[in-house]
Amino acid sequence: MTRSLTLALPSKGRLREMAETMFARAGFQIVRTGSARGYSGEIRGLSNVDVAFLSASEIAKALRDGTVDLGVTGEDLLRETIAPSQLVVDVVLRLGFGPADVVIAVPESWLDVAFVSDLDQVAAEFYETHGRRLRVATKYLALTRRFFAANGVTGYRIVESLGATEGAPASGAAEIIVDITTTGSTLKANRLKVLDDGLILRSEAVLAARQEVLSQPVVKNLKTRLELAI
Amino acid sequence: MAGKSSDQRRATDALYASMTSVFEAAGAEFIEPDILQPADVFLERSGEHIRSRTYVFTDPSGAELCLRPDLTVPACRYHLEHAGDVAAPARYCYAGKAFRHSTQAGNSPVREFDQIGLEIFGTGNSARDDAEVLALTLSALKAANVAEYKIELGDLGLFNALLASLDMPDRWRTRLKRQFWRPRAFRDLLNQLSGKTQKQRTSISTLLDEMAASDLDAVGFVEQRIEALELEMIAGRTVEQVAGRLSEKLLDRSDPPLSPEQAELIDHYLSIRSAPAEALAQLQQIAAATNGAFTEAVETFAARIEAMKAAGLAVDCMEFAAVFGRSLEYYTGFVFQIDLPSPDGSTRNIAGGGRYDTMLADIGAPDMIPAVGSAIHASRLLLPGQVVT
Repeated sequence: MTRSLTLALPSKGRLREMAETMFARAGFQIVRTGSARGYSGEIRGLSNVDVAFLSASEIAKALRDGTVDLGVTGEDLLRETIAPSQLVVDVVLRLGFGPADVVIAVPESWLDVAFVSDLDQVAAEFYETHGRRLRVATKYLALTRRFFAANGVTGYRIVESLGATEGAPASGAAEIIVDITTTGSTLKANRLKVLDDGLILRSEAVLAARQEVLSQPVVKNLKTRLELAI
Repeated sequence: MAGKSSDQRRATDALYASMTSVFEAAGAEFIEPDILQPADVFLERSGEHIRSRTYVFTDPSGAELCLRPDLTVPACRYHLEHAGDVAAPARYCYAGKAFRHSTQAGNSPVREFDQIGLEIFGTGNSARDDAEVLALTLSALKAANVAEYKIELGDLGLFNALLASLDMPDRWRTRLKRQFWRPRAFRDLLNQLSGKTQKQRTSISTLLDEMAASDLDAVGFVEQRIEALELEMIAGRTVEQVAGRLSEKLLDRSDPPLSPEQAELIDHYLSIRSAPAEALAQLQQIAAATNGAFTEAVETFAARIEAMKAAGLAVDCMEFAAVFGRSLEYYTGFVFQIDLPSPDGSTRNIAGGGRYDTMLADIGAPDMIPAVGSAIHASRLLLPGQVVT
């Protein structure tokens, strides 16, 4: 007898709505249990799955730490929270909603900067001029470090940003940013441009699972039926 | 491992004392640099890849501090604060903890480890000092009963000198030097500069076309464009800097690419990996095809090899690799690494070091002060089978 699995679903916002709609379309009715405002639930017809409602970023952490077995969250949060080398969580299915690109954006007035390699040179110039490193505002610390390391940009430092990242260059909190964008309009409004090769991750909502549960029938069942609902 | 037992501590102390006493006997002052360091000195100089492994925190007064990820910079800071004349020759050794967050997955990440090191500042004879640092490091390892190891040598001065002796725009040299650390990016850049890769249109190609056709000078052109787009110069850069880089991009369009011979010399240099004597022969071959600067650097290399022999080192058992040092950003010349073979065939790095002539000036010395040093990863000597008491 296999133990029951815990599936974490987004507890709020658009991601929650889209996830619940898709699960309903796939024939999975999600029921909240306990008190009306409870953060746990179950899926009608899947007796061996418990549902936990968490914020999207908590879901990524819970998957990493193994406190849940399955989860629906943004791929950006998943990649940020779990290093590729950790090999503990796999994406089971890309769900086709919640698209967001994680990109590097610089001030539009930097007419001479089009590539990540330009950034490396500008970082060197910046250090010469100001005696300090170019600052990158972002909430994606790990994604930024990995991408910059892989692309040979070293002369920078990260300033952690927990909101309104796109305002950092104008406010003087940082020179450039790494942030998510869907339509690009927020970047444009802040007079920022995405580098030609500045796409770090093309993200969308995903169903992810701990590796040790991948082969369980219920995971395959979820995948098959959700696939048809995309 | 939640700390050391009394016996382990005694064994460790004795082992470390056997090594530091070698450095002290060679005239090094045994110092204890601060464990807590101002974060910016490390973060502004070593970049995000070290920052991501450094324990950084803010103290109650708001100061950004870190646990030292390494003892070389703390030793440099000690020197700048305590030496009467910072340019006068000085030697220091130390034994203490360094702290790095391990990003490796898996069991028990190493967060703190012991480093034993030697730094020689401010003397004029670099070949002799380079050789002495390596010789003393080996003596210290011998004192710790480590006798079987592999030594790899590098020389970052050679690469810079090679670029200086090849005819090309200065900005290309700067770019090649910056990319030297990154093999893949370096290859891409070299292919691009030698015309092997097709130039592609980019998001600023049209702007460059218009700039080339404009009657205005570069600064005037950029000013006009910034105004027309209703942009502001923000984020610490000036119109002049933007115009300067755009002008360079225009020049890149028209400057002749590196010749196949030049690219070939660079490739030949980077491919050298052999015993120092044989490496020297190849370096001399390259020197014959270039001009002065490289020849001088090869002479420096040869002098260092001679100094090592004079210090009684078995140079023939070492290996020189032109690309060695690629991952060690603050070094400027001689670099070395000492590895222990493991029974499973892999190797374990136990010591390394090199010359870092720009560091002291970079953190506050009024002038450039020659500096060379080494660090022994002492905790690794204490693994089972490595301790002989």
